[in-house]
Amino acid sequence: MDDPSAPVRTTPLFAAHKACKAKMMTFSGWQMPAFYESPMAEHRAVREHVGIFDVSHMGEVFVSGPDSLPYLQGLTINDVSKLAIGQGHYTAFLTETGGFVDDLICYRIGETDYLFCVNANNADKDFAWMQAHLPSTLRVTLDNQSGAWSQLAIQGPQSPAVITDLFPDRPDLLQIPYANIATAEYQGVLVYVARTGYTGERGYELYLPNGVAIALWNQALATHPTTQIRPIGLGARDTLRLEACFLLYGNDMDETVTPLEAGIQWAVKLDKGEFIGRAALLQQKEQGIPRQLCAFRMEEAGIPRSHMSVIQEGQVVGEVTSGSHLPTFGFGGGLALVHSRLQIGDIVYIDVRGTEKAARIVKKPFYQAKTKG
Amino acid sequence: MSFPTELKYTKDHEWISAVTGTARIGVSAYAVEQLGDIVHVELPKVGQSFSKGAAFGTIESTKTVSDVYLPIAGRVVKVNDALVSHPENLQEAPYAQWLIEIAVEGEAAGLLDAAGYEAFLAEDH
Repeated sequence: MDDPSAPVRTTPLFAAHKACKAKMMTFSGWQMPAFYESPMAEHRAVREHVGIFDVSHMGEVFVSGPDSLPYLQGLTINDVSKLAIGQGHYTAFLTETGGFVDDLICYRIGETDYLFCVNANNADKDFAWMQAHLPSTLRVTLDNQSGAWSQLAIQGPQSPAVITDLFPDRPDLLQIPYANIATAEYQGVLVYVARTGYTGERGYELYLPNGVAIALWNQALATHPTTQIRPIGLGARDTLRLEACFLLYGNDMDETVTPLEAGIQWAVKLDKGEFIGRAALLQQKEQGIPRQLCAFRMEEAGIPRSHMSVIQEGQVVGEVTSGSHLPTFGFGGGLALVHSRLQIGDIVYIDVRGTEKAARIVKKPFYQAKTKG
Repeated sequence: MSFPTELKYTKDHEWISAVTGTARIGVSAYAVEQLGDIVHVELPKVGQSFSKGAAFGTIESTKTVSDVYLPIAGRVVKVNDALVSHPENLQEAPYAQWLIEIAVEGEAAGLLDAAGYEAFLAEDH
């Protein structure tokens, strides 16, 4: 939850957002653009053309040192030993009881060097967690660069054209496979270009020191005549990720939800050896997973919202974790944490402010990601 | 942004076409602009009665839900069903797109004329 007494932080692009007439909002303690003109138009722009997002509120932690691999194997759910230099993967930190401390992307950027991209709201908690679980016997250095680094996401089918404009002498950047990362120079400064995103479209996430953020933002927007690029706020970011069924920490999962319940078994490598939370996951697997995060779409007019009850045969069987109008489809839908007995195709009812509205459990995702194409 | 002079307005940004007999009720251009992309409109049933200031429906944009309040007590005699199927129309024509029609059953109080409403917006926002 946002602490109202904490000072509100701004990214290096605050003035640029104002210049683009952004409607600002406070998100995780940061002043961020909610939208510029219209969240729906921005959503469509990313699906059809390309958009640029300021996501500098996200945290960046650099991990290095000869023992970083064994350290990270014990700290995260995915198998870090499988990462070649330049590869990244989706992973998480868990509590001893198997709940999410955070979900994150881990990139291997050197022989024993890693870059972690963590959620804004959790950046300080994550760094403290990483420090607290670093045995003094291991030679590992942790460097929280969240305040000094910015992050810009360029997402949509025209994103390669924007990257070409930003890095004209690096055609190889267009060849990096999905989830991989490469270094590049922008105005003589080292930046990281990753082929990742949170929209379901082909796209890139750029990690860069604060000093070059405005220049890169402006140059990317200047490609508008050929790429139709436009700035995108957090409103459209949320509906884009929801259509692709990407999880949002604090909504879809938190320390009370395990990755088995959240449906990301594919990122949990139980046979890689010991890691924090593994015992709890093994136990849950053996005893049966009580809840599952599933996608649902409204069968009646109505917009589901977080925390609304999911009802089946008069019984509350779960709760909406994320809900919205889904702009690509024109109906309401979302994610809900429900009893495991529910199956794809089941009709349930969402309690929309006292009125029960029919919905159907559907296969995830709503929008098939085009990230790899 | 325009505010037709033949309408009366509330500080909650509804408009009403008359204060006696049959009246149409909608939301102002200012309200529509503040809401952003309107994706869902929920309206009452014909025959329902509401007191002045009661929430009779909701308008949802991509991110928020807003209640709409009755400017004057009344009974619903017509509902703009076309708007329920095409909520985006409200964005384009907030004065043509009324929400409900009521048989007025109470006294008008606290309503603003167009100039008064514009002055209220200017001082408050």
